[in-house]
Order: sequence, then C-alpha cells, then structure tokens
Amino acid sequence: MKIAALLAVILAGGMLIYAGQDLPAFGDPNSPSYQHPITEYYINNSLTESGVENIVTAVLANYRGYDTLGETAVIFTAGMAVLLLLRRREI
Amino acid sequence: MNGIFEFIAAEFNYWIYVTLMMIGFYAMIAKKNLIKKVIGANIFQTAIFLFYISLAEVEGGTAPILMHGHDGAHAVHEVIYVNPLPHVLILTAIVVSVSTTAVALALIIKIYQVYGSIEEDVILAYRKQLAPEFSEHARQKQEGEQ
Repeated sequence: MKIAALLAVILAGGMLIYAGQDLPAFGDPNSPSYQHPITEYYINNSLTESGVENIVTAVLANYRGYDTLGETAVIFTAGMAVLLLLRRREI
Repeated sequence: MNGIFEFIAAEFNYWIYVTLMMIGFYAMIAKKNLIKKVIGANIFQTAIFLFYISLAEVEGGTAPILMHGHDGAHAVHEVIYVNPLPHVLILTAIVVSVSTTAVALALIIKIYQVYGSIEEDVILAYRKQLAPEFSEHARQKQEGEQ
C-alpha cells in the first residue's frame, strides 16, 4: 500500500519536473506572465483608478472585487459549517 | 556539468515546489491519521502558493507597493515592480485554504466523538463491526452470494 502511494507520488513529481522544464527561469523579465499587458496596466493605472498605493490591495478590492466577494462567501460558508458541526444539540 | 548546475539553479523554485508537493501528496495518500492527512493537504497547498509567488518574481523587482521618488511623487515607471496578479490570487487561495482546514478539523472532531479514534483503519473496522450492512465490502459479498 505504501509502495503504491510512493510510486504514485514519484510519478506525479516526475511529470511535474518534466513539465517544469518549459517554464520560464526564476526572475525572468521576459516570462509570459510579466509580459502580459494586464500586469503593466495594473502597475501604471492602479493609483489613478483606485487611489491606493498598494497595487495588490487595488487589484483585490477594486479590479477583482467580485472575486473577493466570493471569497467572503467561502469564509462565511466555512464558518457556518464549523458552527453547525460543533454546536451542542439539545436532543 | 556546468550546464546542469545552471539549469538547476535557474529553476530551483520549481524543484522546491515539486518536492513540497510530493511530501504533501504522500502524506495525504499514505498516512492513516486524519490530522496528518490534513497537514499533508496544507503542505500541498503551500507548495502551490510558493509556485505562484515564484512565478510573480522579476529580477531586481520590488514589492508591488508604489514608492515615492525624491520629489514626493509616486515612482510608477522608474522602479521595477513584481507582477501583482499572482499575489492577489494567492491571497484568495490562502483564505480558501484556511477555510477548508477549519471545516476538515471540525469534521475530524465529530469523527473522534463518534468513533473514538482518528486512525482511518480503526474507524473502518469499527464501522464494519457496528453496522455490517452499511459496509461496502459486506454488501458486495452479499450480492455475490445471491
């Protein structure tokens, strides 16, 4: 059983290492994620459009506000699940 | 030989993330203790966070918080900032990770209250003894006999 688990893990790791050879090097300025126009847009326009110096905050609360709204829904659901699981029942 | 070292050094973040992912994956599959499974899931998630944050890194870049120049104005074009988008995605992912961990631990508390153990094999044996008709193995055996 443990041998099978180890084999599965090594297989998955080998596949990731094989696929990782096509990824850009660490800190490469020409990587596709940094060359994408949205990165430049966020850095150049976040201050004028949202008035926050921290670009991460601007993207989180302004450009991706609905994402953050869904995130709060996730926290709420998890909190309700924990409360319902752990409350003492009267019966 | 030098080329191999350069290759490993250039992508060391991927090696670390793959190693962490393998450790977490193995803990999730092979460990019988439910708490250890949750710890494995957390290590797995941390590996993914590390992968995303390392994708955001740019050589000579600084944290994506706008800096002030000498004249007090914001230095938007003069400074290299790292990619802010993976940071935002991982901020969301960390919150989801904390939520799933909380629900998993609450479920484990309930399992411990019912079965008196968090070891997977003990729980399965107890279930089989408690209610053999609900055991998947017993039902298949019964269907085979009929």
